[in-house]
Amino acid sequence: MKKSFIYYVLMISTISLCFHCKKKETDGQDDTATFDKSAMLSNYANQVIIPNYVVAKQALDSFALAYTDFLQTKNTVNLTSARQKFIRAYSVFQYVSCFEFGPSENEFIRANFNTYPCDTSQIKANISTGNYDFNLVANLDAKGFPAIDYLLFGKSQSDATIVSLFDSNTQATNRSAYISNCLSEMQTKLNTVINSWNNSYKGTFVASTGSEIGSSLGMLVNQLNYELDALKNAKIGIPAGKKSMGVALPEKCEAYYAQNYSVQLAKQCLQNLENVYLGRSITGSDGLGLDDYLDALKAQHISGTLNNAIKNQFATAKSKLGLIQEPLSSSVATDAQAIDAAYVEIVKLLVLLKTDAPSVMGIIITYQDGDGD
Amino acid sequence: MLLLLWELLLPTKMAMAINRIKTYFTKSVHIAPLAVFRIAFGLLMLASIIRFIGKGWVYDMYIKPKVFFSYYGFEWVKPFGETGMYVLFVVMAAAALCITVGFFYRLSSILFFVIFTYVELIDKTNYLNHYYFISIISLLMIFLPAHRYFSIDSWRKQAIQVSHIPNYFLLIIKMQVFIVYFFAGIAKINSDWLLEAMPLKIWLPAHSEMPLIGKYLTKEWVAYAFSWFGCIYDILIPFFLFSERTIKPAYFFVIIFHLATSLFFNIGMFPYVMICLTTTFFSETFHIRLINFLRQILKLNMLPVTEFVYKPSILQLRLLKWLMVVHFSVQLVLPFRYLFYDENLFWTEQGFRFSWRVMLMEKAGTAFFYIRDKQSGKEIEISNCDFLTPMQEKMMATQPDMLIQYAHILKKEYEKKGLKNVEVLAESYVTLNGKPSSLIVDKSTVLSNEVDNFKPKRWIMPISSNH
Repeated sequence: MKKSFIYYVLMISTISLCFHCKKKETDGQDDTATFDKSAMLSNYANQVIIPNYVVAKQALDSFALAYTDFLQTKNTVNLTSARQKFIRAYSVFQYVSCFEFGPSENEFIRANFNTYPCDTSQIKANISTGNYDFNLVANLDAKGFPAIDYLLFGKSQSDATIVSLFDSNTQATNRSAYISNCLSEMQTKLNTVINSWNNSYKGTFVASTGSEIGSSLGMLVNQLNYELDALKNAKIGIPAGKKSMGVALPEKCEAYYAQNYSVQLAKQCLQNLENVYLGRSITGSDGLGLDDYLDALKAQHISGTLNNAIKNQFATAKSKLGLIQEPLSSSVATDAQAIDAAYVEIVKLLVLLKTDAPSVMGIIITYQDGDGD
Repeated sequence: MLLLLWELLLPTKMAMAINRIKTYFTKSVHIAPLAVFRIAFGLLMLASIIRFIGKGWVYDMYIKPKVFFSYYGFEWVKPFGETGMYVLFVVMAAAALCITVGFFYRLSSILFFVIFTYVELIDKTNYLNHYYFISIISLLMIFLPAHRYFSIDSWRKQAIQVSHIPNYFLLIIKMQVFIVYFFAGIAKINSDWLLEAMPLKIWLPAHSEMPLIGKYLTKEWVAYAFSWFGCIYDILIPFFLFSERTIKPAYFFVIIFHLATSLFFNIGMFPYVMICLTTTFFSETFHIRLINFLRQILKLNMLPVTEFVYKPSILQLRLLKWLMVVHFSVQLVLPFRYLFYDENLFWTEQGFRFSWRVMLMEKAGTAFFYIRDKQSGKEIEISNCDFLTPMQEKMMATQPDMLIQYAHILKKEYEKKGLKNVEVLAESYVTLNGKPSSLIVDKSTVLSNEVDNFKPKRWIMPISSNH
């Protein structure tokens, strides 16, 4: 028995040694270069996430100012100006919506800011009583951007009528205050998030360099996919009737009342997802991102690298999405072809980002903890 | 001439061999290793259950889900609702504690086995080879006289106390551990594992941030070294554990191996379970000393055990013999049932579970399900999260039998909503060991018309056939 043990030990060592040597000779160069994950996370925190939040906050503040102007002088000119600033704030919000982890998750930013379609009867009831609590779950779809969208644009009402609703209508005061309350809730929450990132969370985020559930990379990739899923379903699929036997549901569009902006918001969302994938800032400077990480891991796809496949798919999806005409609420009924074409490409992108990429990065796509095998 | 001589010799040789095996099985050995095993197993289970409840998994896995993926033939196993499930876990914890101290041992071990296995059978989403192992060990423990030494039972009833047992009681545990390692090793003899170092080539670089060793984990040769070492370790370690001469170095490797797995992989308590339970292979002197040490620190004044060899009655012995023959035959055959299916085992997972195929693949998928009205051909795309937990969705997307089960669940749900005449279709993109994702099922299959059974699932699309 002693002999056989020595024999086995020798065998193991020989085999492993052979392997080491062979590997070193043949493809020693092919080792995955050590990739600085903490530099990547630092780029995400400093160049992408925090600056995006700051821009989103600025856009919201600038809308708040325009809205205050409108309340002071209620006319159609000021209404138009406030609306423009609102659309700008809504667009820029697409650049932070996917960072729903850490401080943002604590504030439930996504649900508090952008649960649509809004519940117009709930909004009307809140305004008429003047007595409402935005902390209640029942008010999730009666506040945030969708509620302001409804109140500022109305449904097929002239600009003058809208102005009068804020001016001479019996509920004008309550209505004016309602938007202000929506706004201040959002401003407070964004402030909290930005402060939290600047104070301690940035360090936490950059230091968590693992890939397990709850790691920074894991959360970033999971939320990237969550947002892409929302683009596929909430922004396009549901209005286009993908969940209703092909019956279009135009009133489910994001920014339904503003008209002409639903496709734009979807495009901004996709643009931001590409930025996040590339580690690119809102101003366009490209830093270390998931693309570089996938290249460092030498991830391959059918032909060429996985990174190239994903970048190409972003390009295809963006171009197809660009072919959908505004307003989306009409296109869903009249131009199913263009919508289906974009939808198919978004699905392909989703598969690459949700299945192929996380798998080679060793990230589990789930929001649930558990033991592995 | 030679042949004739050989034939003459053969029966005696065989008789001698059989005799030797018989002696090996029936020789008297000290009961201490079995008592230590009982204590270690009980404590580990108690810790596992507390950890499981503490992590909120009782809620996540058995209360929150709206639907459950039952095992073939066990559709009657259902969760008991919130209070029921927590009661079940508390009773299970109590049973583990009773096993540890040897209090109403037989009843506790039956209770533990039944509850643990029942919980595991609720939803195959949660299948882990480790849980299967625990189920089997707790089943085997019912038949072991592990409470006849250093236990409350033997302290209350001195008459049942023994100092020695026939060796086969220990061998039952040892053989089961042997099977787990050996089959886990054999399963690693495949081209992905040995020639591609997959999935370790994916899993190890994911830890590149670890201090000291991190920078080596991205090296390709390290993935190969780990793969080959893991395979050889699993195949050889059970042999080395069996021999008294090699047990010490072998146990050193057991510790290294399992600590490494616990460092790199998210596998919970299992490494510690194996590190503790393999001590059963240690000499009886070790275990007697361990128990004496426990006696001292617990300040137990127990009467010295008189030398007495436990002998089960003839009926008990016959029953035990046949149960074990059946059990171990099943254990030896089950891992090979995949041979009945000719497609890629990792891709189709036909005959994959209950075979000690541990950590063999990195598999992920995204599944899209559709309800189609048979008459109009119009479709509804399903949001899986409306019906499934994230864990269920993740597992379902890559496992063909779960794809079928989910299709039936959806059909039933939509028929309940009043949609008659619907069929369920699916597209699921799956990536296996870093290969580009491809469809495992597409819309040409009406999944709701398929039945989940042990026949080969012909609708599964071949791997990477549809790029």
